[in-house]
Amino acid sequence: MKTQIVGRSLPRVDAWDKVTGQARYPGDFSMPGMLHGKVVWSEYPHARVRRIDTSKAEAHPGVVKVITYKDVPVNEYGINIYDQPVLVAEGDKVRWVGDRIAIVVAETERAAEEARRLVKVDYEPLPVVSDPREAMKPGSPLVHDERSNTNILHHIKIRKGDVEAGFAQADVIVEGYYITPYVEHAYLQPEAGLGYIDEQGRVTIVSAGQWPHDDIHQIAHLLNLPEDRIHEIVPAVGGAFGGREDMYIQHLLALCAYVVRRPVKIVFSREESITRTGKRHPFYLRHRWGATSDGKLMAVEIEGISDAGAYASTSIPVLANATSFFAGPYVVPNARIDGYTVYTNNAVTMAMRGFGATQPPVAYEQQMDKLAEALGMDPVELRLKNLFDEGSVAVTGNAMPPGVGIKETLRQAALAAGWREENGRWRRPDLGQPAALHKRRGIGVACAYKNVGYSFGFDDKTTARVELSLEESGAIGRARVRVGASDVGEGVHTALAQIAAEALGVPLERVEMAPLDTAEVPDAGSSSASRHVYISGNAVLRACQEAKTRWERALREESGETHIEAEYTFHGRNARPTTSYDPQTGQCEPHISYGYATQIALVEVDTETGEVDVLKVWAAHDVGRAVNPEMVMGQIGGGVHMGLGYALMEEFIQQEGLVRTRKFAEYQIPTVLDMPPEIVPIIVEVPDPTGPYGAKGLGEMTTLPTAPAILNAIYDAVGVRLEWLPATAERVLSGFRSRRGFGNLNGAGHQPGEKR
Amino acid sequence: MLARPALPSFDYVRANTPDEVVRLLQEHGQGARLLMGGTDLFVRMRDGVIRPQIVVDVKHLPGMRSIEYDEVTGLTVGAAVTMNQLARHPQVQTHYPLLAEAANSVASYQVRNRATLGGNLCNASPAADTAPAVLVLEGRLVLHSSQGEREVAARDFFTGPGQTAMRENEFLKAVRLPPLPAVSAGKYLKLGRNKVGDLSIVGVAVFAFPDGTVPSGYVFRIGLASVAPVPLRAWEAEEVLATHSPGEESFALAAEKAMEAATPIDDVRASAAYRKAMVRALTRRVLGSVWEVLE
Repeated sequence: MKTQIVGRSLPRVDAWDKVTGQARYPGDFSMPGMLHGKVVWSEYPHARVRRIDTSKAEAHPGVVKVITYKDVPVNEYGINIYDQPVLVAEGDKVRWVGDRIAIVVAETERAAEEARRLVKVDYEPLPVVSDPREAMKPGSPLVHDERSNTNILHHIKIRKGDVEAGFAQADVIVEGYYITPYVEHAYLQPEAGLGYIDEQGRVTIVSAGQWPHDDIHQIAHLLNLPEDRIHEIVPAVGGAFGGREDMYIQHLLALCAYVVRRPVKIVFSREESITRTGKRHPFYLRHRWGATSDGKLMAVEIEGISDAGAYASTSIPVLANATSFFAGPYVVPNARIDGYTVYTNNAVTMAMRGFGATQPPVAYEQQMDKLAEALGMDPVELRLKNLFDEGSVAVTGNAMPPGVGIKETLRQAALAAGWREENGRWRRPDLGQPAALHKRRGIGVACAYKNVGYSFGFDDKTTARVELSLEESGAIGRARVRVGASDVGEGVHTALAQIAAEALGVPLERVEMAPLDTAEVPDAGSSSASRHVYISGNAVLRACQEAKTRWERALREESGETHIEAEYTFHGRNARPTTSYDPQTGQCEPHISYGYATQIALVEVDTETGEVDVLKVWAAHDVGRAVNPEMVMGQIGGGVHMGLGYALMEEFIQQEGLVRTRKFAEYQIPTVLDMPPEIVPIIVEVPDPTGPYGAKGLGEMTTLPTAPAILNAIYDAVGVRLEWLPATAERVLSGFRSRRGFGNLNGAGHQPGEKR
Repeated sequence: MLARPALPSFDYVRANTPDEVVRLLQEHGQGARLLMGGTDLFVRMRDGVIRPQIVVDVKHLPGMRSIEYDEVTGLTVGAAVTMNQLARHPQVQTHYPLLAEAANSVASYQVRNRATLGGNLCNASPAADTAPAVLVLEGRLVLHSSQGEREVAARDFFTGPGQTAMRENEFLKAVRLPPLPAVSAGKYLKLGRNKVGDLSIVGVAVFAFPDGTVPSGYVFRIGLASVAPVPLRAWEAEEVLATHSPGEESFALAAEKAMEAATPIDDVRASAAYRKAMVRALTRRVLGSVWEVLE
């Protein structure tokens, strides 16, 4: 479809305010008469709270109130299950170190800080549940003994075909046991915000939520107030990556304002942000795959266990997603797949860029390379034999809907990286000489895919409202778009404004995105699941189309109207209905739409230190339609950065529920010098006919293939399989030395608090 | 345990004379802390590790921020000279490139704008990046007290993690490095988990020069960081190179001895076993590249 504005790299609508420092982030807001809140955190990962003594803290000069469980009207919340106390009660348990005992509210930040140290808590320590594999076993101490007699929060089964027969037909079988670590979101801006009672008497919070309308829903429950007595304002957001989908500060701000009836500001330190908020799920993935000698996958057997941490958060939907992706974007006739998510006393795990689609490729793409090696086949060629086409049947029994660009991403990435195709056979490129004698080069390929929008029967929807102000001539002077999509830095407001401008036929400058206040804009769901361009884009597109029709009619009828409005609610199910897993077979229509990706990494490994340099990454992404190509490329760069950190250095370490990586001196993320000198972004556009202008989704897909591509490249370079992330220099060297018969480094490769 | 207490209250005094510093140290004992760059001090105060009542800013004392070079007496670096100042100083770059290289490897550019040589040494972190360089350049630390000045050799200065030979009422005024031989070469190699900013997992400095009085004809000095309770010299490795002619074989043997000198710990950054192996690998590598220059 020919377009004027969609498809152009126009400047972001928020760029000017951000580069000139005018954009205000939650921590920038203050009010006269404002108080400061500081949280008293749990000191134990698992303990019964016998007594909370706030008397000393209350007597401290400047302290206005020490808020405890007694002040919470309904002391429970949770995005999926109400299994978390807002503040832990006497007699109840703390289940991880992110549980809260109290909030000290004082006239100054210093007084609040001093007083929070004066809250004395008498704990009875309980046995710590720190490994989900142990926690699953009968007899394990229970994290939620009042709810259930098992720590297993959820189990999903997929049964397709006849797995034994499939393995019997296989000529080669490869296995692996892959472990992915806990990962910190590490957004630029730690949690911060302001809570107050506005002039209409409403509980008001200014904070960086990814789904502010759902925050309101949960806060209304815990304050026992009607939803229209609460509203959330989301100003500029300093990154989210899933970490702001659950509430970590929003409900505390609301509670403070509700209890003390004065403005209260809370700002988490970086250490609080790292140690007391949710993380990406670690997964323990056991794989067994069989293929015929001509490279056709016959059977897979997969067990995946995720650590849910202390509370459910979105662990069940993350597991559901992950389980649907365990076998990768491949046609597999026979499958037996089990997914579990298990409560422990570790950090709560939650959404993080990929929502269960990030861990599976670490396993399935190494499995594919193991198969390629066992079969003596080029890894590109093997993948092309098995990848999805439109109509291919996934392990969940559904046919893949139109817009399957996975093979095209692989072809384009491989050709760009120097692969050659001759009569259907693929030949790898020559990698050139390494920089030194002790270095070796390798290249690795990885494909991945992920859903766009909420899955498994969830009613994914966005309501968008557009208001046109007409000039005297009748022309559209200004189009104001009201949609509750939180722009967390990814640029959704720009993308939606471009879609609106395109649909209305006006320049982008005439489109104004209304500020996000839940009382003023309709619910658009969460900024997650790579869904806004598709779901909210569809809602904005249709609202604009309707507004344009009304405008044209007004012009025809010369009605003299100066203001035209239209509203549209787009439901994903109206494009493609989804269903939940069949409890016995797992067969279902899991997802609405998909994005597809291939990345290829060229690395150099130092055989004396184990250090890995990523020299170049080719990243091909099928986005359906790039609404703003430069923003797509920006997402690709950011996704590769996160994927590189996942592959090589990021690991949130806990020992018996206590955090060992409390700050950025201990938890490493890649610096600019760790990034490849070159990233080659390749935009592939295989449209989804149900997407706005064919667009699908992108945000999460950019990070999925990076880690397995790097891991496959390390193997290609030095013959070391890193099944356990991150591939630190120490682990790479340890693998290399044992492979070369130099003997293992005694004890090397093991980090404190971990066991295989 | 709290996640991060805020910076507590303290008194700030800007000292104008060395005697004033000594007086304040005597008056407050452990309750006083000296401020130069503050890149470690304030972090520790914020984290509640230390709680001084008084912070004495000593960077404005005469000479604390100056670098002086003299062909006969060598280099004198004021204790409050910043890492970036040191790394970019023309005479340091010309005559003591190893020191410039080490200073430039500390943390990030922004931190190096404030972090000082004296602070890096006085904190006595086993991972101090400038320590191996000062050790192999045979630096001497100028300490001031009510009894006047005394000098302590860098090799005697570090006594334990965070512990030095400084007495309670003493403070570091300057670091002196002797003039170097006409022909010499040095290099510092640091391994971290990322390429900029991380504390070193292992740091190795080598300084070497021809010397006819030594059997091998060359003196090699080897300094190690992050692999023992204190930054240290690998004496036995140096002895190997004093008696064996330089080359791959003696470098391998010396690297082995350096590894034996290392007594590292396991922490979140690396295991002790990996650190030991890296002492060997990096020592060999640094010896090789230093020798390439000298040969």
